[in-house]
Amino acid sequence: MLPLLKVDFNPVAEFTDFVHNPYVTLPLGLDINKAVVYMWMAALLATLLTLFAVRRSLKVRPDGRQTVAEVVYDLAQNQVARGGLPEEGMRIWFPYVATLFVFIWMMNLIGFVPLPFGERHFDLFGLSIPEFQIYAATANLSVTLALTLVTFVATHVEGIRYNGVIPYFRSWVPSDTPWWIMPIMVPVEVISQLVRIVSLSFRLFFNLLAGHLVIAVFLGLASLLGTYFILPIGIPMGVALYLLEATLIAGLQAFIFATLSAIYIGGAIHPDH
Amino acid sequence: MAVTGDIHDSAKVLALGLATGFGAIGPGVGVGFIFGKTIEAVGRQPELRGQLQGLMWLGFALTEAIVFYALGMAFVAYAIA
Repeated sequence: MLPLLKVDFNPVAEFTDFVHNPYVTLPLGLDINKAVVYMWMAALLATLLTLFAVRRSLKVRPDGRQTVAEVVYDLAQNQVARGGLPEEGMRIWFPYVATLFVFIWMMNLIGFVPLPFGERHFDLFGLSIPEFQIYAATANLSVTLALTLVTFVATHVEGIRYNGVIPYFRSWVPSDTPWWIMPIMVPVEVISQLVRIVSLSFRLFFNLLAGHLVIAVFLGLASLLGTYFILPIGIPMGVALYLLEATLIAGLQAFIFATLSAIYIGGAIHPDH
Repeated sequence: MAVTGDIHDSAKVLALGLATGFGAIGPGVGVGFIFGKTIEAVGRQPELRGQLQGLMWLGFALTEAIVFYALGMAFVAYAIA
């Protein structure tokens, strides 16, 4: 039997097991574990790439690096922010949604680079190296829920700040609603505001989790099923899904998260729209 | 052939597969509709392609996320059953 089939392959383990052995244990559950390290790497990469792209002074006739930076900036400004935010909210909230866009994009992209962060170790010339794996910080509900809660709090704080407390909460229901529908409309609207937390965080979390799981399952299908006949199907499918996820889904989910944040915040600033 | 193993475990696996599969039907139809209607709209008014594409991706992501609600609930059912 070839060594591949002896591997005890569990595609789910890399998304769950790391919680139990953090690198640094801190009180209040603020452990520094794999997801935290991945977030730091994403923040560092986003900062360094931006500095690299616009390191020298910006030119009127941009070179290659500056063109890339301008494309990303234009996408963040015109597609993400202008789509949802009104003009008076741009000054404060455009930097926020643009940061969300770039940060989540970088977290997703790092998730598709195999890095030695596995729980199990293998020996290479006497060195004990952690297994290489593709793990994304956004394939973790805590990360996406934290980002969502920032947007959620910002939405309602801005709504109250621009409209006042009573007019803002009154704007949740349409102004021409008859009084006798109110007992139905008010709970529905309150629930729809709270469901935004679930939908915004779950969309990003499960997209990345399911994407990584499907790639891992197809690449490890021979090991899971214990036969080599499946290899000609499993490996190409895994590679195709990997390419789809890394090129399209990683950027698209970051775009969607930032756009919806902009729409929610903009909708609270100007409830009529 | 004799069936071996735990019927409880096999029911859990079946539930996971069925919930994910049925949950993917509706969003699959929806995603197809979104792309088809966008192609139709671009065919009618090619000059609006840029705006329509932005809306298309937004609608695609919103619809696609519904699969993951089914998948999430399937995982929950698998974990607690």
